[in-house]
Amino acid sequence: MVQTRRDFLKRTAALSAASYLGILLPFKDVGNALAADETTWHRGSCRLCGTGCRLELGVKSGLPVALRGVPQSRTNMGYLCMKGMHFWKLMNHADRLTTPLYRAKKSDKFKKISWDEAMNIAADKFASAVKEHGNNSVAYYGSGQALTEETYLFQKIFRGGLQTNNVEGNPRLCMASAVGGYMTSFGADEPIGGYADIEKADCFFIIGSNMAEAHPVIFRRVMRRKLDNPKVTVINADPRISLTSRIADIHLQFNPGTDLALLNALAYVIIDEKLHNEQFINDYVTFKKSKGDTIDFEEYKKSLVDYTPEKAATIMGGKVTADQIREVARKFATSKGTLSMWTMGLNQRKQGVWANNLVHNLHILTGQLLKEGADSLSLTGQPNACGGVREGGGLCHILPGHRPVEKEAMRNQVEEAWGIPKGRIPAEPGLHTMAMFSAVNEGKIKAMWINCTSPAQSLPNCNKYNKGLAKDDTFVVCTDIFPTLTTELAANLVLPTAFHFEKTGVYGCTERRSQITRKAINPPKGAKPEVEIVRDWATLLAKKLNDPVIDQCIKPFIGLEPEYALPKAIWEEYSQKLTKGRDSDLSGAPYEVLEGMYDGVQWPAPTVEYAKTGGTVKKFVRGMDPLAEKLKTDDKPYQFYGAGHPDHKLWVWMRPQANPEEMPDADYPFYLSTGRIIDHWHTMSMTGRIPELLRANPYSYIEINPKDATRLGIKPGDMIEITSRRGTNIMPAKVYEGPIEGMVFAYWHDQHPDRMINKVTMDAIDPGSKEPEFKICACKIKKVSGPQALKPYVV
Amino acid sequence: MVIAGFVVQCQPQSQQDTVVALEALGQVEVFGADEKGNIVTVVDTDSSADLEKIVKKMESLEQVMTVGLTYLNMEDEAEKIASGELSPDPFPRKHRPEN
Repeated sequence: MVQTRRDFLKRTAALSAASYLGILLPFKDVGNALAADETTWHRGSCRLCGTGCRLELGVKSGLPVALRGVPQSRTNMGYLCMKGMHFWKLMNHADRLTTPLYRAKKSDKFKKISWDEAMNIAADKFASAVKEHGNNSVAYYGSGQALTEETYLFQKIFRGGLQTNNVEGNPRLCMASAVGGYMTSFGADEPIGGYADIEKADCFFIIGSNMAEAHPVIFRRVMRRKLDNPKVTVINADPRISLTSRIADIHLQFNPGTDLALLNALAYVIIDEKLHNEQFINDYVTFKKSKGDTIDFEEYKKSLVDYTPEKAATIMGGKVTADQIREVARKFATSKGTLSMWTMGLNQRKQGVWANNLVHNLHILTGQLLKEGADSLSLTGQPNACGGVREGGGLCHILPGHRPVEKEAMRNQVEEAWGIPKGRIPAEPGLHTMAMFSAVNEGKIKAMWINCTSPAQSLPNCNKYNKGLAKDDTFVVCTDIFPTLTTELAANLVLPTAFHFEKTGVYGCTERRSQITRKAINPPKGAKPEVEIVRDWATLLAKKLNDPVIDQCIKPFIGLEPEYALPKAIWEEYSQKLTKGRDSDLSGAPYEVLEGMYDGVQWPAPTVEYAKTGGTVKKFVRGMDPLAEKLKTDDKPYQFYGAGHPDHKLWVWMRPQANPEEMPDADYPFYLSTGRIIDHWHTMSMTGRIPELLRANPYSYIEINPKDATRLGIKPGDMIEITSRRGTNIMPAKVYEGPIEGMVFAYWHDQHPDRMINKVTMDAIDPGSKEPEFKICACKIKKVSGPQALKPYVV
Repeated sequence: MVIAGFVVQCQPQSQQDTVVALEALGQVEVFGADEKGNIVTVVDTDSSADLEKIVKKMESLEQVMTVGLTYLNMEDEAEKIASGELSPDPFPRKHRPEN
């Protein structure tokens, strides 16, 4: 019987799914007639969240024709979500940018120009800004979606070449508080464990994360663990009931911003009921009131008397009871392994670092760390916020390899690695994101490069910052694959770039894991990889500024073809010279090693032999982490060698409940919170161009609790005006038992001027991490009409 | 022709009901299942748009916990997009800034 192509593909699909489960199907050979299938498979990572799912792109005749998961991958076990299923459509999309575009004034129309003209303009503008206004008049604003090689090269040119630390990226808007939390609690950035703990955990504490929509493949793993082991407890703490809540045994729903009281109350119960791990505390823990003020256990314990379960339940309002708090504390402390996971619900807060500290406190007090199934795991929102930006030097205060800018010895190490004069990198950290865009407003930034992100939509209180971006005071270069609100509003020069799988490079996901994606197809004619663009731009900059040090910065990369040799050389320099000897050591993971792995390498991985095992699953554990052995200070099994804690201890912090910057009042009586929806990614510049994803959620809406809706006469679909002290949106109502009474919730992907919720959100920042408080502000709502037909909008 | 393989996850006790419900959707074929409630499922549709609709229906079934993609072939559609016969642009316009 002749097998058709359709039969062949269906059997291939079935065999693929069956192989994940070890199920034998009654056919193995998918057909001799089709054995000579011309599809070639190219392994890489998905780029539409921070999970780091591994997949293979099938390519035939230069076209992306198929996708399949990589079942051996320890990130996703081969499973993919629906966003990941559609990204291939962006590769030959009609809207792709394919030629440089220029306008002298932002009110002008763009005109097409050649790459030579574009590079000359970009170099001229940055050179003249430096000459006329000084080094700090230029800035780079990058992305947690840029490859590590890209972020690293950009920051090298800005710091070493243009002598400014004005190097920032959008992870400031999502991950900075997690960095602050890890640094202050554990003495080192990034988690101790990782996803491997999911299958060992007996208790999940999910707080401030809707992982079912934002990280669906991780959610799948948690659900599988729960289904396989019904005694596993899932606790979800969130002011909003989300899709994640449906697997929760206990859902704690409270007024926004009161979770610091909850976390302190859990610590209170743990200590009050003697559920803490006294030996672990004696061996490994320091208690802190402030950085310079060490206290003892008794003083810390005393500080918690304001957070008895009864008092905390009162502070939290809502539906939480004292007994629930006690039950959660007991389960957290006594399970064989407790795994906490969170995302922006904790990070995007004025008390974001404190909220992170308080979760870490619970793990430290109970010893729910460093063992199988136990970890305090911040989930990353973007695919390379950790690898590129946190590790690769993409924030204004951190040089590559987790080196603080303000330390001279650290700067000197980098200067030596780059072969540039000592003192070349400025001693002062640059402007953090919100300060950078404030400086744009003030006309202090004269030339800015925005790479792979759209701050005109993603900054909080964006009306305020878009005024500056729209002015001609700041010359703006945007590198991107599609037009965005930022290219429309702010760019003078738009440079078309290659997309994922159209170039080669590394992403580092949530769990300290670096994974390579090799170029599999050609970008549209006219688009280039960023590393080629930056190298060519820097070559011209060196001439225009007559600065041999800029030449020195790019000397190792001159003449290399940009598809593989160039990113390889950049990774080689970064991994071998900048991570070697640091906690994020990836010197054992050159491209050759990464290419041989299904799922990359977890740092520290100081040797090739070790990296080939997959690297370090648990940091700080002797026998599991080579640095724990190398840097040990005593014979104890755990060694906290992070540079942030000279006493080599974990720090438990006193962090009181503190209100958000803006609380509801008589004029603005509702809390407003925002977040993602499963079908869309960030500012929708990609997912809004995929018909299937757009149709699933063509525009944003505002979720309103049914009790509030009844009180205000609001029915599903009614058009609702949402107003804060900063701006107004109008979008349809979704009346839904999601947000707690007194709170509304909006999705932030929508580009339409009426529905761009960051016009309404707040730009108060955490004083430590400088991350804005997207998640909470005060607003008022009113019905302006019944349902209206709306059109989706993508720029 | 767009063909995709999925592992559909449900409660073990509702596996039989889930298989029936999946197959009732049409364009869905079940190839096997394990005792943990994992169901090997293949969806065969004319287009990505149809596939998306089927998957949404699968996800909305009461018994279904997750729908995990393991394989996707969209070669016909990719060739049509590359040749210009089909546009993945959801908007009836070219909207490049230069236009």
